[in-house]
Amino acid sequence: MAKLVLSLNGTVLGNYFLEKDRFVIGRRASCDIQITDQGVSKEHAVILTVGNDQILEDLKSTNGTLVNGRRVSRHILQNGDVIEVGRYKIKYINQKALPDMDFDKTLLIPAFDRSRLKEVGIDLEAQTGLQVETAVATARAVKSVFPLGAVRLLSGAEAGREIELLRPITPFGRPGNRAIISRRPHGYFVTHVSGRRLPVVNGRTIGSEPHPLDNLDQLEIDGEKLQFFLK
Amino acid sequence: MKLSHALTFASLSDAGLVRNFNEDSVAVDEDLGLVLVADGMGGYKAGDVAAGMATLIVTNELKGKLGDKGAREPVSTDVIRAAVNRANQAIYHAAHNRPQFQGMGTTLVMALFHDDMVTIAHAGDSRAYRLREGRLTQLTVDHSLLQEQLEMGLISTEDARVSHNRNLVTRALGVNQKIVVDVKQERALPGDLYLLCTDGLNDMVDDADIELAMESLQENLPLLVKQLVIMANDNGGHDNISVAAIRVDRPFPARRGLWARIFPRLWNR
Repeated sequence: MAKLVLSLNGTVLGNYFLEKDRFVIGRRASCDIQITDQGVSKEHAVILTVGNDQILEDLKSTNGTLVNGRRVSRHILQNGDVIEVGRYKIKYINQKALPDMDFDKTLLIPAFDRSRLKEVGIDLEAQTGLQVETAVATARAVKSVFPLGAVRLLSGAEAGREIELLRPITPFGRPGNRAIISRRPHGYFVTHVSGRRLPVVNGRTIGSEPHPLDNLDQLEIDGEKLQFFLK
Repeated sequence: MKLSHALTFASLSDAGLVRNFNEDSVAVDEDLGLVLVADGMGGYKAGDVAAGMATLIVTNELKGKLGDKGAREPVSTDVIRAAVNRANQAIYHAAHNRPQFQGMGTTLVMALFHDDMVTIAHAGDSRAYRLREGRLTQLTVDHSLLQEQLEMGLISTEDARVSHNRNLVTRALGVNQKIVVDVKQERALPGDLYLLCTDGLNDMVDDADIELAMESLQENLPLLVKQLVIMANDNGGHDNISVAAIRVDRPFPARRGLWARIFPRLWNR
């Protein structure tokens, strides 16, 4: 279970377990963490538990709520986050809430009870059908220790132009006669996609399998010449 | 026009790098113009049973209703809902009557191509995308807690990346006696490229990179599905990855009966 550690100037004042779905921090006696300090609002912030997420929400407090030094109105807590309420610090500890996420198996849970949110005054104006990017933050960029590759065009109207191979795929050629250079964690590969003209690497025609590229390889794709190099 | 002459199909399913067991199921029936992708879960290694039952039963139900050669006329969404409900009931009963299948369930996303239309149906967080004129559109809305959090305005789309709820689905086959299936019908145009996938792909690969792969490799679908699996694995491959791609090469109006062809107006009245 997630835990909160309350401290002031480095002195730990208490440990709290997030046992409730709605956990309020503030000056009032009814709060789950009561902090009797003038810099803290009566109901300063709330932590909502929704599935595996614990969402910190500032309750329009006078002095605001900070997480890791940044002011937030709403924030999904990650293990090790430090919440600041007035002069007080609250560390959030939850081994399950790692930013790299727990890729637990897919599980079924009942739909969330929306009525619970009314209690904390959260705007319930539902927007349906939002498109959401779910790819995890850590999976975004090609995690590569391999140097960045690029190609220099050696022929055609744009001879001399340089193209950095930043994305996982860079297409070359035209529809009907295509090849791609793919960027993988351990290197770059050229692969034939369509058409009868297969890519040529250092004078040799490659097959249908991805062909690994070495620094300064000379390529010919769809009749155009280019050179691969590592930056 | 035979459907298999108008459409090109490719699919691939991979366990990923972390799991040693694949609980996804993919089924393609080219004559029927039908593609299904399911992501099984729960039970003692029985997720694959639920996923396999879903793809098999829906295929058989639709074959029974439409015939081996596919639909002769526009398919009503009720036919699809009924087929998914049959699969749901079968999984539900297996899960409740056999201890080794207890707690199993599955997501399902399917596409049925008929009469220049595509019907997309889904339950759970498996997705359908379409690439049309270089632009990627998500055709399904996940039945997941993450999606609910977003729609309620609890978190922003930026926050979605750091949520720990991506693996929690709010709808699946085999959990209740009845299931509500989201169904939509759209015109399918020559040049369209459809993609069905489990979350093992879209949790690992950004939509922008899925779009890039579909755009770059639309002429070579076997390579496209392979490349998508590679990209998911290169980014970590935390889950099973299943993808199915369908390209519309030419129009595919339904084969109407003789009388309908001679007297189309009478028929359509």
